[in-house]
Amino acid sequence: MSDIEIEIDGQLVRANQGDSIINIADREGIEVPRFCYHKKLSVAANCRMCLVDVEGVPKAQPACSTPAANGMKIHTKNDKAKFAQKAVMEFLLINHPLDCPICDQGGECELQDVAMEYGSDVSKFNEGKRIVPDKGIGALIQTDMTRCIHCTRCVRFGAEVAGIVEMGGTGRGEGVKIEPFLTEGIQSELSGNMIDVCPVGALTSKPFRYEARTWQMNAVQSVARHDLVGSNIYTQSYRGKVKRVVARDNDSINETWISDRDRFSYEGLNHESRALKPKVKIDGLWQETDWQEALKFAIDGIKNNANSSEQFGVLSSKYASLEEFYLLQKLARNFGTENIDFRLDQAQLSNASSLESTITLSEIESIDHALIVGSYTRLEQPMINHRIRKATLNGASVNTINSKKFDFNYKTGLDVLTSPQKLRATLQSVLKAIHNKTNKDAPSFLSQVSPEDIHNKIADDLIESKNGVIVLGEHLNSNLDSIAITSLIEQIASAADLKIANITLSGNSLSAEKVGFMPDEKGMSAASMFNESTKAFLLMDVDLEYDFFDSKSAQDCFNQEDVFVVALSSFENQSLLNGADVILPMASYYETSGTHINFDGQAQSFSASVKSPGDSKPGWKIIKVMADLFELEGFDYIDSTQVKEQALQLSRNKSSFKDVDFENFDDSQITTHWQYTPYVTDSVTRRASALQKTNIGMIDSAFVSEATAKKLGIGNDDLYLGVPVSIVDSVAEDYVFVHTNQARKA
Amino acid sequence: MISNEAKKEIDFWVSKYPEGRESSAVMQALTIVQKENGGSLNSELINDVAEYLEMPAISVQEVATFYENYNHKPVGKHVLRFCHNISCMLNGSDELISYLEDKLGVKTGEVSKDGLVSVKKVECLGACVGGPMCQIGDQYHEHLTKDKLDNILENLT
Repeated sequence: MSDIEIEIDGQLVRANQGDSIINIADREGIEVPRFCYHKKLSVAANCRMCLVDVEGVPKAQPACSTPAANGMKIHTKNDKAKFAQKAVMEFLLINHPLDCPICDQGGECELQDVAMEYGSDVSKFNEGKRIVPDKGIGALIQTDMTRCIHCTRCVRFGAEVAGIVEMGGTGRGEGVKIEPFLTEGIQSELSGNMIDVCPVGALTSKPFRYEARTWQMNAVQSVARHDLVGSNIYTQSYRGKVKRVVARDNDSINETWISDRDRFSYEGLNHESRALKPKVKIDGLWQETDWQEALKFAIDGIKNNANSSEQFGVLSSKYASLEEFYLLQKLARNFGTENIDFRLDQAQLSNASSLESTITLSEIESIDHALIVGSYTRLEQPMINHRIRKATLNGASVNTINSKKFDFNYKTGLDVLTSPQKLRATLQSVLKAIHNKTNKDAPSFLSQVSPEDIHNKIADDLIESKNGVIVLGEHLNSNLDSIAITSLIEQIASAADLKIANITLSGNSLSAEKVGFMPDEKGMSAASMFNESTKAFLLMDVDLEYDFFDSKSAQDCFNQEDVFVVALSSFENQSLLNGADVILPMASYYETSGTHINFDGQAQSFSASVKSPGDSKPGWKIIKVMADLFELEGFDYIDSTQVKEQALQLSRNKSSFKDVDFENFDDSQITTHWQYTPYVTDSVTRRASALQKTNIGMIDSAFVSEATAKKLGIGNDDLYLGVPVSIVDSVAEDYVFVHTNQARKA
Repeated sequence: MISNEAKKEIDFWVSKYPEGRESSAVMQALTIVQKENGGSLNSELINDVAEYLEMPAISVQEVATFYENYNHKPVGKHVLRFCHNISCMLNGSDELISYLEDKLGVKTGEVSKDGLVSVKKVECLGACVGGPMCQIGDQYHEHLTKDKLDNILENLT
């Protein structure tokens, strides 16, 4: 490993040949000032701040781009180094406005810190300073480009990490400006990281602007719950309100990046529709009341309406914490019902857990081939997509089988367009091709299948890959044939020796599966509960318009006179007021302790960052008290850690897709797939106003091919289920791909 | 839009670079497109070049704003590219530029009313021995004086 010895500031250090000096100094805790160097980005060496003295070299050398060699003697703090660093600092400050008192970066600014150390208190420069007019780059990032020192970290971030080159340095010499080509706003789903990498106040958070000074805030380590990754974050709060979320380093999970959804969703916490007081509906009128009354009303209502325990159903969104899932299923089971589910948006449900992933986040980086099935990965799971992108930079190839050609931030090879109803046939064809090529006997249900050319090519790539993965995405959820498809994916993976990355479920779904928040064979699943037989419901963080696959029948059921609905919810909206009979205000993200289980199966716990507003209470406490009021046994918890310990002892039931019956499936109908933009996936994000104003947040189009549009009798800019139609040729036939921020209507 | 002729010319330059390095031809492409557009570029054309060479638009913009030989505002039929670097400056280029501005009634970077001439200050053109100098089209004009300039302007049509 360490093959050379060098000396930094008199300290003998072992290092690898070719390591940069700054890298070694960082490891040894020797401070070298820098602006353009960033450990996750390429070396630009354009700020010159990290100049150090290397003995024997006449001029000071940039530590970031000078590789260490055996016997090198480096001084980072002698007169020569200091003189060089101070000179650079003086140049950098010539055009910097020094408006720190009104700059949001003040207090956490690398330029400010380094200027304290290396800057002069008097400037020799009397000429006018450069001013750069701001063009604006969207709703998330505030630009003050006069403050820019041209380190190009944001430019390199776009090119190297986000994969969308948006920022660039135009002009030359003193006239250089860092700006995007378009002023319509940044397109990337990871754009907020530019704020983190910017060493000065040129790029700051727009929603956070002038909200608080950085040193006034209270930072708490937390975990983002919006996707399967569980990115590590700090929440920063001021006077009891979360004011900002920034990334926390964790190399095996999110490296140093977080998605815009994780970063800006906190805004939703302070939305005006927060549920702040317990409420009950008496004779159709809502009344605010206290907790005692509301709980009594809720318990009595459930007991009176559910004549037998099987008439009680419990539903949750996929974003609750492990502890909440555990307690709520325990409450339901002790109550005597198996009608438990979190898979509200799935079209076809079984009693089995979802297909198990067989790869970890960091392993994805080293794959050599990926086949993506039914997924707009970039928007669904930004950080997982980022890992796939890193693999492609190392030479991995990617093929897709999707219903529309999506905009990935890496090159895809073969793109097979398949509508959801034809997906089974396509996968069968690929599976058959693999069997043909590997000279294995194909199972009998494939006897009639003869693979097309492109399916043979897909199969070739799968077989040839040594370290391939098949990625199964969110689109599966609304596929009426999902069980057969999952089975085929599993068979393809085993026939071609592939790893599986199942990203169909998001949020904290893996916690829900771990504690069995789903019915066994006696119970009803979310898809079958809305019939005559369920008379009382307990909902946790459920949005009646957005969350259900068939929201109309769900709402119709809840709205019935003789159906009693208790809602634990952080927010109120009209549909909830219509459907519910009791609203128990629940703490939201960052307001309660809990645990998230991520793609790697890692359980990450977090504590509450702020107190929940109004009278709202943490979900796990509400459930515990309800269980006590039901006089159920086994709910003597003092804190959520005890709940967590019990929950973690459970293990998800096995997923089994081995003996799926491939009976006939009707694939003749035109189908519609409804995909949400990433910024309406959960109740908090949906209310985060800045995210909604981004290019991604405003996506609202029903994509359809020309032939299908003709069949449906729709044209460009017509409304299809309330969504503007866009006729394109990159979408499968007999199929409408609705990509929207509107609530599901199909 | 890039015309088919222009595309053919660009393809010639693209063919000089290895496959996958099409973006190396960006400077020639911009020159060709600029010439076709009467001597200047606009963001639409920059976007077109980016699409044609499969580059991010901002990368093309970076090149187009870095080099002096691309104009981002409409120019006159003839562009007087006046050197204002050290040798020319010491030999009185500033004076000649002011003289030109007064005579034409326009500032550097603007187009004369008849659309015939615009003046642009550029960096060293490598003809220091003949300073002060300017470039018009492909022609260098050296050892300039006010009289010589008058003469040159009279002959521009």
